[in-house]
Amino acid sequence: MKREEKSAVIQNLLMGNKALLIVIALGVILSIASPAFLTSSNLLNVVRQVCVSTLLSIGFTIVLSSGNMDLSIGTLMGLCGMILAKLVKEAGVPLPAAILIVFGVAVFGGLLNAAILSLFSVPAFIVTLATQSIFKGVNYLISDLVPVSGLPSELLFLGQGYLFGIPVPIYIMLLVVLAAWVMMNRTKFGRYILAVGGNAEAARASGINTKRINFGVYICCGLCAGVASIIMTGRVGSAQVGAGVGMEMDAIAAVVIGGTSMSGGKANVWGTLFGCLLVGIVNNGMNLLGINPNWQVIAKGFLILFAVIIDVVSARAQAKRLNRIAQMQNS
Amino acid sequence: MTDHKGQAGKPALKAESRVYMEDTILRMQGIHKWFTGINALHNVDFELKKGEVRALIGENGAGKSTLMKILLGIHQVDAGEIEFMGKKVRFREPKDALDAGISMIHQEISLIPTMDVAENVWIGRENKFSKGPFINVKARYQATKDLFEQLGIHVDPGKQVSVLSVAMMQLVELARAVSYNSRLIIMDEPTSALTNEEVELLYSIVRKLTKQGVTVVFISHKIEEIFTICDSVTVLRDGQHVRTCLLNEQIKMEELIQMLVGRDVSHSFVKQETKIGDVVFEAKNFSRKGVFQDVSFQVHAGEIVGFSGLMGAGRSEIARAIFGIDRPDSGQLFMHGKEIRNTEPRKAIRNGLGMVTEDRLRMGAIYTMSVKHNTTIADLFRMTKAGFVKRGEENAEFRRMSEKLSIKYARESDLIKSLSGGNQQKAILGRWMLTKPSFLILDEPTRGIDIGAKMEIYQLMNQLAAQGVAILFISSEMPEILSLCDRTFVVREGRLVHETDRAHTTQEILAEYAFGVSRAKE
Repeated sequence: MKREEKSAVIQNLLMGNKALLIVIALGVILSIASPAFLTSSNLLNVVRQVCVSTLLSIGFTIVLSSGNMDLSIGTLMGLCGMILAKLVKEAGVPLPAAILIVFGVAVFGGLLNAAILSLFSVPAFIVTLATQSIFKGVNYLISDLVPVSGLPSELLFLGQGYLFGIPVPIYIMLLVVLAAWVMMNRTKFGRYILAVGGNAEAARASGINTKRINFGVYICCGLCAGVASIIMTGRVGSAQVGAGVGMEMDAIAAVVIGGTSMSGGKANVWGTLFGCLLVGIVNNGMNLLGINPNWQVIAKGFLILFAVIIDVVSARAQAKRLNRIAQMQNS
Repeated sequence: MTDHKGQAGKPALKAESRVYMEDTILRMQGIHKWFTGINALHNVDFELKKGEVRALIGENGAGKSTLMKILLGIHQVDAGEIEFMGKKVRFREPKDALDAGISMIHQEISLIPTMDVAENVWIGRENKFSKGPFINVKARYQATKDLFEQLGIHVDPGKQVSVLSVAMMQLVELARAVSYNSRLIIMDEPTSALTNEEVELLYSIVRKLTKQGVTVVFISHKIEEIFTICDSVTVLRDGQHVRTCLLNEQIKMEELIQMLVGRDVSHSFVKQETKIGDVVFEAKNFSRKGVFQDVSFQVHAGEIVGFSGLMGAGRSEIARAIFGIDRPDSGQLFMHGKEIRNTEPRKAIRNGLGMVTEDRLRMGAIYTMSVKHNTTIADLFRMTKAGFVKRGEENAEFRRMSEKLSIKYARESDLIKSLSGGNQQKAILGRWMLTKPSFLILDEPTRGIDIGAKMEIYQLMNQLAAQGVAILFISSEMPEILSLCDRTFVVREGRLVHETDRAHTTQEILAEYAFGVSRAKE
């Protein structure tokens, strides 16, 4: 029994952070393969590049852990970025006020998803597929398909600047990751999210206002898209019409690689961060080794498959172990 | 052991074995089955003669379904032998049983609603009507039509199943069983959804089949109906064979009921005397259309009130509506004389109610969460400060509960699903003891848990009653009701049909009212 338990602890630890293990393993391989990899400027570059997708993925992790889905997160980010650029460039709104308005838009986007869901109880997959298209269309409308550039330097600083030698987006990203971890693991709200994601009916019978939790979850997700839009716009230096399109798929990939269950009830916030880093490192490594960039897309596909297969195999192993323990207790 | 396999798909062989066959078609001997420590079937013998209609009766959990599932190969037998048509068999899955000539019509319809009737009847056997990849739809339609005519079923084989009534679906399933040339057909409460005319139709089909030498097993809860259609009856109780006998004039309904419930009631556990206080909870004319009607009752402080009756009688539905899980249509609820409205469980909790729900898997436990978090979830809102969980307090409260209830787990962070059923249930009970309700509903709290854990739960109910908690206890197990409840209501078809106090509660009374057997001498 004791040894069974010990090995179970180790197995859980490894499986809970398999993305981190792969990150380390890959890091070692790449440092040997390319001397350019293990330099502080390259590493910071990798992290900076995954900031936007990490922010979206964190939002996605929260939604997924509540047993829901949000396909609109990418285009909501694109819309927020366009509104931000229009506000500061054309309407002359000061940046802090513009950011507040953008947060308002992001919250509204989340509320819209949650409201449709709770009013009509349609599958979240369909609802957010629809709002994905709506957000994209509104973006096209207000931009008239013309990108907005020439943005103020304060905004560029948020996307490109450095503080104590470290890119500003990294601070923002880490702050959000930390906040999300605290929320999911230390607050009542986070516990309720996991309860609803694990068993919505049982959660309701335990006195949880499941509708309110769903609203909260989508607001959090919207806010993540809002923060991501600021960094995105600042980094690119302009608001692009197609920004964010398809990024929800990257988010799904990272979250799955990071080990958050697609069926709800679990949130591996750090895993999501490592999942994003893993995708970033693979891309970076292939760049450094001079591999045709088209291979990066294929590599991401393999990463997803790899992560999912590991999940399935480890779940099987765990079920076997539980069975063995049960049998031992019976006899 | 699995010599039936060579026989599959070769009707010629089957005909040969019929010559060998004596009168007995099925012989199950010394059947044992354990489910995670529970002895679900204990040394059960079950024999069927060719062409008879046998009733298989027993209370919920008596082992009827388990026995039939073993025969079909849905469950594997732990000890014992099965002989079908003179050959030793042990089916691995229902398909094997079907091929050998045994089919079962389950309570839940197993047709595919989006397909038409003919497609459903011959599903999986399309090659009977096909040449290459194409199915001869006309031939299949005709074959179905012939089959239906032979049985007297009037359904157009071209109709989509989803537009049929439940009764017609059941008849289609029956026809499908016949089309397999089944020699033994098991029907699980086939008449529960049928009107009188449909029941008559079913009976006439059954009679036709038995004339052709088909044997039929009727699993039923309706004592009266088995007298109409069945030749003989087997009574199971607590996983054991009680008696098998012919159904003739010599046997009376009352006798059967006594066999069902058993006479030796073990009063090994009795509720302690508690001071019965004021009325805590009251329901007045509480109704939900088509589910339960006009339910009125009171529960006093320190009192355990029982809801007895069969599964599906509406007991759980009443409790769910009281607790705000489902919406009632009319009626009033009172706590301590003040009217309350439980539109959601969270309102009920704030009004001082707690409820251990019937279906632990679906409505109770959150399997992705640890035992600790499962225990504290309903009371968590009291253990927070500015939205943050006060972890010290949560840990202390959980440990207090797990010690009090002696919940056994390796680590607090273990997922609740890794615990035994009894320990899971104790954790759920702990969840509701933490919220300190003044009215606690327990819906089948001891189902599927071992006897030790059962005793512990009885003990806890006693303690809670002694502390002045009013308890509504729903149970299908009569001994539990008898030994624990101060007063008991029998629920049948959504109504409280009878009320007894402790001194006047007997298993016979509970069973008579639950099964709806009219008491002539009154």
